[in-house]
Amino acid sequence: MHRRDFVKSALAGWMYLHAPKVFADLSAPVAQQRASTDKKLIWILLRGAMDALHALPPLFDQNLDKHRGALSRDLHTTALKIDRGFALHPAFKHAHTLYQQGQFLPVVAVASGYRQRSHFDGQDQMESGLNQTEHENGWLARAVASVGQEGLAVAQTIPIALRGEGTTNNWFPSQFKPADDDLLQRLTHLYSDDAQMQAWLSEAINSRDRLSMQDKGSPQVKFPYLAERCGQMLQQNAGIGAAMLEMGGWDTHNNQANRLSRQFSELDAGLAALQQSLGETWQKSVVIVTTEFGRTVKVNGTGGTDHGTASALFLSGGAIQGKQVLGEWPGLAQEQLYEQRDLKPTSDVRSWISAVLQQHWGLTSTQLRHVFPDVQAVTHSLLASLKAH
Amino acid sequence: MTDVASYLAANRFGYGVTPDILRAIGNQPLAWLTAQLTTERVSKLLAVTKGHWTSDVALQHLAKHAQNKRKMRENSNHGNAAKQQLETDRQEMAVKKQLAKQVLALTALSIEQGIVSDSPFYWHLVDFFSNHFSVSANNIQMRALAPTLEVEAIAPRVTGNFSDLLQAVTAHPAMLFYLNNEKSFGPSTRFAQKRKDKGLNENLGREILELHTLGVDSEYTQGDVTELAKALTGWSIGRGIRQEPNGFMFRDVVHEPGERVILGKRYSQPGIKQGQAILTDLANHPNTAKHVSRKLVQHFITDEGNENIVAKMVDTWLSQQGNLAKVLTTMLSHPASWQTPAVKLKTPRELLISSCRVCSLALDKEDFIRHLTNLGQRPFNAGSPAGFKDNQQAWSGPHAMMSRIEWASHVSRIVQVEPIQLAQQSLGPLLSKLSIQQMQQAESKAQALSLLLLSPEFQRR
Repeated sequence: MHRRDFVKSALAGWMYLHAPKVFADLSAPVAQQRASTDKKLIWILLRGAMDALHALPPLFDQNLDKHRGALSRDLHTTALKIDRGFALHPAFKHAHTLYQQGQFLPVVAVASGYRQRSHFDGQDQMESGLNQTEHENGWLARAVASVGQEGLAVAQTIPIALRGEGTTNNWFPSQFKPADDDLLQRLTHLYSDDAQMQAWLSEAINSRDRLSMQDKGSPQVKFPYLAERCGQMLQQNAGIGAAMLEMGGWDTHNNQANRLSRQFSELDAGLAALQQSLGETWQKSVVIVTTEFGRTVKVNGTGGTDHGTASALFLSGGAIQGKQVLGEWPGLAQEQLYEQRDLKPTSDVRSWISAVLQQHWGLTSTQLRHVFPDVQAVTHSLLASLKAH
Repeated sequence: MTDVASYLAANRFGYGVTPDILRAIGNQPLAWLTAQLTTERVSKLLAVTKGHWTSDVALQHLAKHAQNKRKMRENSNHGNAAKQQLETDRQEMAVKKQLAKQVLALTALSIEQGIVSDSPFYWHLVDFFSNHFSVSANNIQMRALAPTLEVEAIAPRVTGNFSDLLQAVTAHPAMLFYLNNEKSFGPSTRFAQKRKDKGLNENLGREILELHTLGVDSEYTQGDVTELAKALTGWSIGRGIRQEPNGFMFRDVVHEPGERVILGKRYSQPGIKQGQAILTDLANHPNTAKHVSRKLVQHFITDEGNENIVAKMVDTWLSQQGNLAKVLTTMLSHPASWQTPAVKLKTPRELLISSCRVCSLALDKEDFIRHLTNLGQRPFNAGSPAGFKDNQQAWSGPHAMMSRIEWASHVSRIVQVEPIQLAQQSLGPLLSKLSIQQMQQAESKAQALSLLLLSPEFQRR
């Protein structure tokens, strides 16, 4: 794996910090008029490689139990059945309700262009959205800038996906008192000889003021709380078109059954919190849930699974035409596996996201090539947008 | 110029300037730094770790914890008397309380030493390698073990040969547990053949190649990862019962027999010797020399790196068996180590330690952890074996920036110092006219101090 020249990416970061507005304007596209500000896009990245066979067990596949043993056996009775013989893990209660309401859509056997098994490289590449990782050039930044809107990262620091083009805000709960305006004023003088610190400061002040990011009471960092605050900020800020949330804890090399039950519950509660805090905006929003890669089909020696290849993608939100399971199923027989061990990818996760961008925000084919140059959008109809509310 | 170099030595490689430090440096900044890399100095410094929580004690507590859990299950299964249940609960509470207290003390140790030690460069190096071999406290076992890796395996070896450091880290219970190696079993051993649910776990093997030694950009394959994982089967943790030690233990019965081939070289050593031979070769591999030297330059000097200085460090590494004191001396002897202006943005941890050092600010152990959590760098919580990011991009986003400002104004309210005097004393020739001017115009001493801590010359090193 070869990474791009670091100097170049550092420079890109500098450009962004110094001229965010210019970039946003330059890339302001034809689609800008079309994109309405309440059409939000929320991307949830599950860091650590979520096991799709556990989240979305293919109960119809006779090879499932042969590979999984005790890990899949109970799911035949407890999992929540959906189309094509698939089911949702019982912890996905809210997601299942959304599915029945036509607002949840799983896509099976997807992967990014990355075919190795390092979390960090896999995540970096997924965030970059390119076949070759560029650490200062993220897909969500390119996408949201192309509709002339801003991004929001719910994180202590800006993740790769939102670096590069356009303007990105970030937020995370703080435990200290907000700094007073007088100090901030004085800092702008203090940094007048240091363009870089000046730029960091003005970005910091701008995002705080515009997003009313200050927390009241004791903040928590549980995923549902972050999702709730994310929904509020999106709902209150017409200029922010997209947000990224992250959730860790998916690297289940051991004790997977218990750990994933908790993880799925937390993710499910996060979806509910997001829906609730977005209010009416939920109806016109799309939520995309992905992970860097899948896990081995076979259970390992420690009641868990190791790094694999294909996983699943979840689409949700009021704008989604759900209640269907998409993606070609590759099968779980030994000869159907990727490298004899992993679920084989049958489509690129980016081709689905690309279709969402096309149908949700009306990105042109030129713009889609700019966001995801290495893939073609799928032709499935994913959005319910033409149906009257 | 010597004057500037003294301030650079303390700011860039240590944790800031105080009058004591300046006196110790005298006119010899390079000698002041290299003196902190000697064996005698290191063994003297390690005295502070005595009496602290160790991995042995941690494992005993974890065994007790597991026993309590079993008892709790039995109690509820057999409907045991409330009195018995209460007793188990009480014992478990005691274990958890002791664990929390001792772990906090050990986690705070390297922070406190960064603040008070006469050898801050040494403690800065300990932090660098602790992040290089990052472990996260993501469950009770890792909470108990994580800080013991830094103190037991890393701190004694950051100035010795990298090979010894790598061996010690790889054989430490914290690393073995964190990357699941204690439950990795040679697939063709009788043990694994009998128990279908026991098998190979590649985690440790992969991270050693990707993060600890060669680096992800190096030319190794999935096959090399699997081979290394097999060579390391049997590197395990004893349970302190029967003949088993309470700590590292090599279990021959689960070690994958036979010869291994890694990077094209054959290893036919028996048992634990096989893994040791491979680790020694990896430690002395040119790509490891390059990977670690690059990280050192990017940490101490500039995010952008400097291939010129790295090449010199690699030469030293390869001719001196990866002796880190010599590699570091090569780095420090290069003019790039002394370049101005300073360009490295301090990480939250460096900012906290240097602020406490120059302001003589005594925070509680709990405060260190709470503050660093809020600043995005909770110790032993990088959440990934890759550790915390070590570049300004990672620590300068709008939120990170605002957190710094909020933190600086928080601590400025609890410090009682003369800010102008402190600024001159801690930054000397590095202090800009603009900063001193802004501080003089501040509305209060607390605000002047905030401005000092947030000034470009204090934020960068």
